[in-house]
Amino acid sequence: MKTVKELIELSEQIVDYARKKGAKEAQVITSDSKNFSVAVLEGEIEELKQAGSTSMSIQVIIDNKTASCSSSDLKKETLFKLVDGAILRCKLSGEDPFNSLAKLMPIKTDINTLKLYDPEVLSIPPEKKVALAKEIEKIALSAKGIRQSSGSSFGTYIGTYMIVNSNGFSSAFDTTSCSLGIWLQAGEGDHFFEDGWSDSNRFFAKLDDPEKIANIAVDRVTRLVGARKVKTQKVPVILEPNMTSRILGFLAQCVSGRSIYMKQSFLADMHGQKIAGDNINIIDNGLMPGLLGTRPFDSDAVPTQRTPVVENGFLKNYLLDVYAARKLNMEPTGNASGATNFYLEAGQHSPENIIKSVDKGLLLTKTIGQGTVATTGDISTGAFGLWIENGVPAYPVAEITISSNLGNLLKDVEMIGNDLDFRRSVSGPTIKVGEMTISGV
Amino acid sequence: MDIINRRKFLKNCGAGAGIIIGSSLLMSPLLSSCSGGGKLPEDGSIFGFSKEDIDKLLQIALDKGGDFSELYFEHRISNNLTLEEDLIKNSSESISLGVGVRVLKGKQTGYGYTNNLTFDEIKNAAIAAAVIATGNAKIKSINVAEKAYKQQVYQMKKALSEHELKPKIELAQRANDAAKAYDSRIEKVSVNFGDELQTVTIANSDGLLITDARPQARFNVVSTAKDGDKRSTGFHSGGGRVGMDYYINVKTPETIAKNSAEEAITLVNAENAPAGEYPVVLGEGQSGVMIHEAVGHPLEGDANWKKQSIMADKLGQMVANDIVTIYDDATIPDYRGSLNIDDEGTVTENVMLIEKGKLVGYLNDRLSAQLLKLKANGHGRRQSYRYPPIPRMNNTILEKGNHSTEEIISSVKKGFYAKTYQGGMVDNTGKFTFSVNLGYLIEDGKITKPLKNATLIGSNIQILQNVDMIANDMGFFLGTCGKAGQSVPVTAGTPTLRISKMTVGGEA
Repeated sequence: MKTVKELIELSEQIVDYARKKGAKEAQVITSDSKNFSVAVLEGEIEELKQAGSTSMSIQVIIDNKTASCSSSDLKKETLFKLVDGAILRCKLSGEDPFNSLAKLMPIKTDINTLKLYDPEVLSIPPEKKVALAKEIEKIALSAKGIRQSSGSSFGTYIGTYMIVNSNGFSSAFDTTSCSLGIWLQAGEGDHFFEDGWSDSNRFFAKLDDPEKIANIAVDRVTRLVGARKVKTQKVPVILEPNMTSRILGFLAQCVSGRSIYMKQSFLADMHGQKIAGDNINIIDNGLMPGLLGTRPFDSDAVPTQRTPVVENGFLKNYLLDVYAARKLNMEPTGNASGATNFYLEAGQHSPENIIKSVDKGLLLTKTIGQGTVATTGDISTGAFGLWIENGVPAYPVAEITISSNLGNLLKDVEMIGNDLDFRRSVSGPTIKVGEMTISGV
Repeated sequence: MDIINRRKFLKNCGAGAGIIIGSSLLMSPLLSSCSGGGKLPEDGSIFGFSKEDIDKLLQIALDKGGDFSELYFEHRISNNLTLEEDLIKNSSESISLGVGVRVLKGKQTGYGYTNNLTFDEIKNAAIAAAVIATGNAKIKSINVAEKAYKQQVYQMKKALSEHELKPKIELAQRANDAAKAYDSRIEKVSVNFGDELQTVTIANSDGLLITDARPQARFNVVSTAKDGDKRSTGFHSGGGRVGMDYYINVKTPETIAKNSAEEAITLVNAENAPAGEYPVVLGEGQSGVMIHEAVGHPLEGDANWKKQSIMADKLGQMVANDIVTIYDDATIPDYRGSLNIDDEGTVTENVMLIEKGKLVGYLNDRLSAQLLKLKANGHGRRQSYRYPPIPRMNNTILEKGNHSTEEIISSVKKGFYAKTYQGGMVDNTGKFTFSVNLGYLIEDGKITKPLKNATLIGSNIQILQNVDMIANDMGFFLGTCGKAGQSVPVTAGTPTLRISKMTVGGEA
């Protein structure tokens, strides 16, 4: 394996070579990773995987035309030949005034303060990793009502990401993450259910303990046992935090620069307009220390930042890479690699009080399938959950669908929970939506 | 534009490097395709290694007491071209090169991989994979010998990867022009043309040494329409393990573009489907999504030996209406999911899954076959050298019935007709969804107004009983199937069929 220093030197040589061969600008992105994962089933290791790999991707620009290449074969000769090819192909690309690298923007943040790397991850003994995956399964299987395990897993990732370009940018950062999860089945005969839970963190010490994760998983699957269909109707729907995340992930797609300029978003012409209720504040923040979506710069070598996306219901900003920003005559937001930490700000209500407020409705706990269309904002997806009657969960429901439109949903959020925990890069608290269509029998 | 010629390109590449990775490999098997089957380069080298090196590495992997070891060498060259807003926005060329080492010990799998093809790095990966066992070597690896095979399911003479960029750009421009010409309400068009050539060589401790070079191509057109303040997006694609001829003679850029633009225009004023449970007719074009989810995944061997699938222990039982026959055939020439050999080196075949309603087979890789006491039937697939193989689908097909298409549609008084899809999903319990991008209302036996974005949900055991009419037509969709973090290309085909009752998501 090559060291970071060797990879930076190789990147510099590629940039120099590309320039010598006629590229006006060139950029090299290198990703290096070391992965470990162990899957356990019924107390035995089912799969143990450990490996490392490195890949490079290269972009060249000549006369506002661009072409790219990438390789996991890092022999200099291979990479130089790929650059030769990219330079020739570049001439066949269209001339586009928005094509050029980001101007050199210094990274003002001290990367160390972002807390992206936990040295402990590298030194966890393999036996401990296996033991964790076995322990979580053992705890879960000892719970009442579990039919069988669908497997548990523990994984670690140690990565280095670096960019070197012809504008003088040269920077790298290291990240770690680890995750622990368990999947379970509950029920009888052909009427059974599957669900689970996992937790991820950049820091091993901050990962939820096996007992907590196992208990959540047990609760999630056992509460579905006996689920039935309900009648087709319109009711209030409460979204658990992971379901709010799913809706926010869809919103992140709808506010991404490419969706906007390609008009593949219902928010394409809505900049500055009121798109949500007064109570809605949505932020993308790539600089929050220790979180999974945090990074010092994006794949355009632009520093990340805090970007208010929706402020008191107004659409304030899109998530923009350099190209989209130039096309839309805006500033890049450091989102060339996608959303960073994208979240809905927490509200005042406890999840319990939100449930209590519903006379008849659905607590959505899980979805299945696709069913989101960014161009229209339409949502239609398979759903599982608990039916709420008189403020308490009455019985589980399954084999139903929920449908709505993101544009309507954002204006119809009646209550926002206080349970935002930032444990996913796209995160939100429990929310109550005034009305969605449930399709059942 | 000589450099764009991949053969020469890679030959230069290898020669310059002094290592023969890629160069002769890429040229040999595919281009001698008329003789059938994949062959190693004439000098016998395996990604630059000798048979003796391979034997040594396979033995190192068994040194801790594993039952079986395997090396999976992969070289993949992928090209991509994007035309958007009337401009060639980008073209890219990617090389993926690496080796995965797998060790099996009972039900357990150890896996390591590296993209650095030196003996020492592969040895490290072998040692990493070997730790699944914790003792001394029990089995001696059998020296590898090349296995020849006759199967050749990729028929083109020249892979798209071997073509220059210019003719590909011309095809993309034709598609762009056709989509825009379809209707003045087409606001934006995005054309993406991707091709790849994947060369794999698999060696294992049973002495197997086998190779395959697999072409793949896909041409996508996304059209966005604007009518007043309403917008919609349509999508269509064409491809498979096909060459340039396919886009000239079988499915032209104009056809793909027209379908994409037509879908966008139809959707722009479409309404939401009525919510509720009622009869559903699945059209012949893309409805294979349904059997992929409802039947294919639940019949993959891994979920069955683990007894996680609702189909576990149901072999020999009736699991569908007796008019339903379903098989998976990886040997159909040129189809997106077709393969000569699977990613464990097993020669593929047509596997019967459900015969007249009765469950008769599972999709197996080596491990699931062993644990289910069945035969490996060529369904061990992996996304790349970074992943161990798992049981997967290839081309999953619901056999034609004897009704005419019209008979089925006219039999429905009020129902939903599904035309195009976003995709589908299933879990082990057999609950599955498929999301319809464009559907239609059926009223009094006639297809009437267009309906948008409806997700349908059901339980496979129930829905397979509810399939009560099957037509004599047939169509396939091009899919990419995700499972356990791995994506592989697949297709599935169905005739038009009727489901007597299913829950349709929409507006109440």
